[in-house]
Amino acid sequence: MKELAHYGPSLCVKFFKDFVVAGYGPFVQIYDYHNGKLLNKCRVFRKNKVHGLSINESGQLLAYGARSVTIVKFDHLITQVSLVDNEKMTTEWITSGEFNYRGDQVYLLTCYNKVFVCDLTGEILSRKTLQGERSILYSGSIKEFSPEKVYISAGTVMGGVLIWDLFLETKLYNLVGHEGSIFYATISDNGRYITSCSDDRSIKLWNLQTGEELCTGWGHTARIWNLKFFNNDTQLISVSEDNTCRVWDILQDEGNGNTSLTLSQIYEVHLIKNVWGVDIQEKDMVAVTSGNDGRLKLTKIQDTKTMNAQEVSFSLEDISTHSVIKFSKGEIIKGFQKFEFGLIAITSLGKIIQYFECDNLWKLLLVSENLVSYSVTHGIMEHNIVTFSNNKSDALLLKLSQDGRDIIAKKFMHLDELSKTNNCLVTKFDATTLMLTLESPNPRDKFICLQFDLETLSLKKKFAFAKPENFASSCLEVFENYILVGSRFSSIAIFDTLNIEHPAYMIRRISAGDTTTNIKFVETKGHTHLFSVTNRDGFYNFVALSYQNQTHQIIHSNNIVKGFLEGAYFNDNGEYITYGFKSNLFYIYNETNCYEIASQVCGGGHRQWKLTTLPDGGYMLVYIKAARLYMRKIPQSLFPQTLEEGMHGREIRDITILKDKRYHDDGFIFCTASEDTTIKVCHFNESTGKVTNHWTERKHVSGLQRCKFINGKYMISSSAREELFLWEINDDYKLHPFITIRQTLPASSDNPDLRIMDFDAIFLEHSDNFIISTVYSDSSVKLWYYNTDENKFHLLVKGRYQTCCILNTALIIFHDKLYLLIATTTGYLVTYDVTDHIPFGINETKNKLIDNKLETCCVDLPASSLSLRVHQSGIKAIDVFKDEHNDSFKIYSCGDDNAMAITLFKFDEMKRELNNTIVSSEPNSAASTVTSCNVFDNGRKLLSTSVDQVVKVWDVSNNHLTLQEEKYTTIADTGASDTVSGRDDSTLFLIGGIGFSVWKTD
Amino acid sequence: MGKNSKDKRDMYYRKAKEQGFRARSAFKLLQLNDDFHFLDDPNLKRVVDLCAAPGSWSQVLSQKLFDGKTAEEIKDRKIVAVDLQPMSPINHVTTLQADITHPKTLKRILDLFGNEKADFVCSDGAPDVTGLHDLDEYVQQQLIMSALQLTACILKKGGIFVAKIFRGRDIDMLYSQLGYLFDKVVCAKPKSSRGTSLEAFIVCIGYNPPSDWVSTLDVNSSVEEFFSGCHMSKLSIHDKLPSWQEDERTIAKFMSCGNLESFDSDATYHLDDFKEDLNTSLDPVQSPTNPPYKKALELKRSGKLTRAV
Repeated sequence: MKELAHYGPSLCVKFFKDFVVAGYGPFVQIYDYHNGKLLNKCRVFRKNKVHGLSINESGQLLAYGARSVTIVKFDHLITQVSLVDNEKMTTEWITSGEFNYRGDQVYLLTCYNKVFVCDLTGEILSRKTLQGERSILYSGSIKEFSPEKVYISAGTVMGGVLIWDLFLETKLYNLVGHEGSIFYATISDNGRYITSCSDDRSIKLWNLQTGEELCTGWGHTARIWNLKFFNNDTQLISVSEDNTCRVWDILQDEGNGNTSLTLSQIYEVHLIKNVWGVDIQEKDMVAVTSGNDGRLKLTKIQDTKTMNAQEVSFSLEDISTHSVIKFSKGEIIKGFQKFEFGLIAITSLGKIIQYFECDNLWKLLLVSENLVSYSVTHGIMEHNIVTFSNNKSDALLLKLSQDGRDIIAKKFMHLDELSKTNNCLVTKFDATTLMLTLESPNPRDKFICLQFDLETLSLKKKFAFAKPENFASSCLEVFENYILVGSRFSSIAIFDTLNIEHPAYMIRRISAGDTTTNIKFVETKGHTHLFSVTNRDGFYNFVALSYQNQTHQIIHSNNIVKGFLEGAYFNDNGEYITYGFKSNLFYIYNETNCYEIASQVCGGGHRQWKLTTLPDGGYMLVYIKAARLYMRKIPQSLFPQTLEEGMHGREIRDITILKDKRYHDDGFIFCTASEDTTIKVCHFNESTGKVTNHWTERKHVSGLQRCKFINGKYMISSSAREELFLWEINDDYKLHPFITIRQTLPASSDNPDLRIMDFDAIFLEHSDNFIISTVYSDSSVKLWYYNTDENKFHLLVKGRYQTCCILNTALIIFHDKLYLLIATTTGYLVTYDVTDHIPFGINETKNKLIDNKLETCCVDLPASSLSLRVHQSGIKAIDVFKDEHNDSFKIYSCGDDNAMAITLFKFDEMKRELNNTIVSSEPNSAASTVTSCNVFDNGRKLLSTSVDQVVKVWDVSNNHLTLQEEKYTTIADTGASDTVSGRDDSTLFLIGGIGFSVWKTD
Repeated sequence: MGKNSKDKRDMYYRKAKEQGFRARSAFKLLQLNDDFHFLDDPNLKRVVDLCAAPGSWSQVLSQKLFDGKTAEEIKDRKIVAVDLQPMSPINHVTTLQADITHPKTLKRILDLFGNEKADFVCSDGAPDVTGLHDLDEYVQQQLIMSALQLTACILKKGGIFVAKIFRGRDIDMLYSQLGYLFDKVVCAKPKSSRGTSLEAFIVCIGYNPPSDWVSTLDVNSSVEEFFSGCHMSKLSIHDKLPSWQEDERTIAKFMSCGNLESFDSDATYHLDDFKEDLNTSLDPVQSPTNPPYKKALELKRSGKLTRAV
């Protein structure tokens, strides 16, 4: 077996020339950061992870991690697949390593505060240490000022930072002031400062000349792991467990000479939790960070000067001083529309003013008495059209020349049929027309849609639709001959311009209930059109609409991490981009890969704002804050935002593959359930192992236990707080698979505190109805019936085993009986015969149940029919295999006791009862907990993973566990796996823990 | 989540409060003893508890060695608890605030024992966990090795050593190393230790170091140097960094401790699972500690650590 791909924690990252060099598990991966291309992935260690890197000018690379160290040529690293033959070992954990200035030696600092000075072949030239101090280090760094002067900064576990001279082996300082372990300490190039961070969440700056503490920086909300000086030692960048990287300015007060650390930038760069590595390329002022989520993130570090240059802001007073326009007291800006030449705004006194970006000038375009006090502004940027409406049923449209200097068309309209207007929406309708909608607060008034020519602004057509009940327009999308209008209460009205008399097709209550903020057409399949719909309350949904059949279906539903959702769209890479407000920020977020693209402090929602995509791919955010108009340019990044997308930042607890069919003919869809409370929907390529993220579902509020596809369209997930969701997946569309919750399993109390540890399902024949067993942390066992048409769970059986936690369950049809199996924390496999407790018959050949159309009712769990202790302690996972002749079935189990076992179940025809016996057991199958097992190759092989990070394949063809192959995995806390048959008789394994990898059998 | 819900979710937390233990970990030692009976040995006299704070293991030791015992039985019995952190007093326990790696500490303990060797040494210590599994496991193993250094200088031949471990990727390496010093090494998991945690305990029985090895604590020598010459080949110093080689690894026998009637630390209990009333809430025995990030928490609470700059 071999590993095809691996995603997981990246602990260190460095810029070198045009490259980003990252320690990625036991690999060093090299990227061209200008185009994001992975140039090579070279294995440097057999088992250990690369914890640190150093590269010298002559192209030598030093990599270290745990007790491993290697010195290799960069040229080899970029061309070869493996350099493990060069791996050397030290006797202690290496905390830091650096080349000397000449590049012919390396310094290796160990966690016992010892330094080995070695030549490039690894020969130890000298060993240096600080006598009398033997504290273990979590961190340290080495700074060479000259061949004779090398300083060591050593961060102890007791809150002290030891600064010592390497060659003199003398202590300069023990810097005391932090609380708790020191997680990083480093010295500035100019020799002025030492900076350190600790468990106390603060950063301190110290004077290297005197050892005095200069200042403390507070800001991070969790532990800080790494620090780096940059910009001539005037700034610091820090990375933390709180997922952010932060930029700090080292400021010197000229008056009193005091130094301070001021937080100047915060970037949310990784998923929970931990950002480990950071480096800066000062030429481009771009930072690269690496995290536990396996992501490598590039972040443009904004300096204040550039930031200021990208934003202009005006009060009406400013505009007045820079132009001849005069404003009255109390006059304010009521609306605006961005154009390529600049912007058009309207004031509360009906003054339409124009801003020209190229010469930073304001000009009065015209004054409209009709638009005094109340107005709504919209426009079509690419056609230089601006529209205004008021509350008196008037609309004014203006078309400007390309440079914005002249009005080339103008249209004013008054609608007699509306008593009053309170809202207006505008969008381009087709190649030659735009659609403007006007709405009156009077429910009896019609909803008016006006179609105008994009060139002449002449009215082409007027549509007056009957207004649906409880309707208040909030956003607009057009598609073919349909007008889709978003409304309050999470609704959409669809009007047909070819059939005006037809009442609007209404989609109501798509999510909890706030206003629909944005509707976007996604793609068409047959007669069904897919739309993305966002809601201010943070939910986004994908609605598949068949107007012909007057039906729709919500095929995807999810909510954003936090805040208000104002809109979303797919970018050119097919990534879903969301935007809105959270606390006092406006954000733009890559929802597909879960990272922030940009954020702007703007004071929060509840203000006039508009986001425009610029032709170069950047954005312009225009907003009003404290009566000032701000135009903030968010330029398109010159570099890719990520070099590696990564997956979960915390442990993957379960993996499930949709095995029924291939996705895009080159791989399979799978879901991962994580401790981070999310479920990711991804697919992997079966030849390269490459993983593509599709969605991160956030419905669970507690850490996941299990996720499992129970057929080709249903997936079930369970977690603490008694959460169990039935999901339906839809892979009919090109862009992404979609997934949504069909139903939630009822909880046993209003304040659920139980964990649903596992579940298993068996289907009824000819239907998507199934029964499901669920097992709980309080020893409860339940059996439910799910009816697809009713979309309801019915409780069939309930009871409690004892008081211990139940970890696994399986439902097995065998000899015309239905058995419910459970596996406990006490190591028992317990079997219940529930055949007579369900209102269904059994079709053993099909392995399905028969619907006898009986009433469902809830009965008590019967006494167990078999109970066998297979493990000494918790049974971590089980898998079931029924032999083809139906003579027996086997339970493969693995446990906390390092053991694996095969339990054989047979039906005694004489006694007419089931019996079981352990036919094979391997007490030392691993050095620690065996966390998952999957039977594959038609019952001949068994895959196991264990916390000792060894993946094993066992031959189980003769009911005996015979180890066939074993291989180390770099994934720590290895805890989940699934298998699927690949092409050419191979089997693919997905393995998860802290990280994720794809394996393939030979 | 109130005081009671934690009681329901974690019976050992509840029990610790009821029985006046400073931490739930007291049950781990009690359950280890249920199977190994090392604390029931009438000949057990001198006991050392390393990394002892807040002191729940010392409480168990005190209870087992002194409570309800006759004057004859407790004759010569002595418990010494060592930690870098201060500890509030416990009956029959001499607490030392000291560094376990320092030769002076060794001397102080030996003085207290009247220069007699110890019969039993235990350590429930664990370092701060960073989230880097390999580092966390390494630091834990170093902590055990530090405890073992002192143990090697203080434990009588045939004595017992018990310590907390994390069962990660290199645990078999530790088992292999311990195998050079003890006749028998068992990996024991008490029922009170959560199944979801990597935590377990090594119970090393029959201290039996190589006859040609002399153990001497020196503040300037590393753990590796200390154990060099004790057949732990990987710990010797080379002049040239050796090429990678697989470490010696052995799997220790696994043993689940505590009987089936013991509470399951992974289970959620019902109010009516017990006669006693879970609704009576008990205050925690140990008042919350001062975390190093106390000030950061205060700043956060007062809204000073926000996202906006």
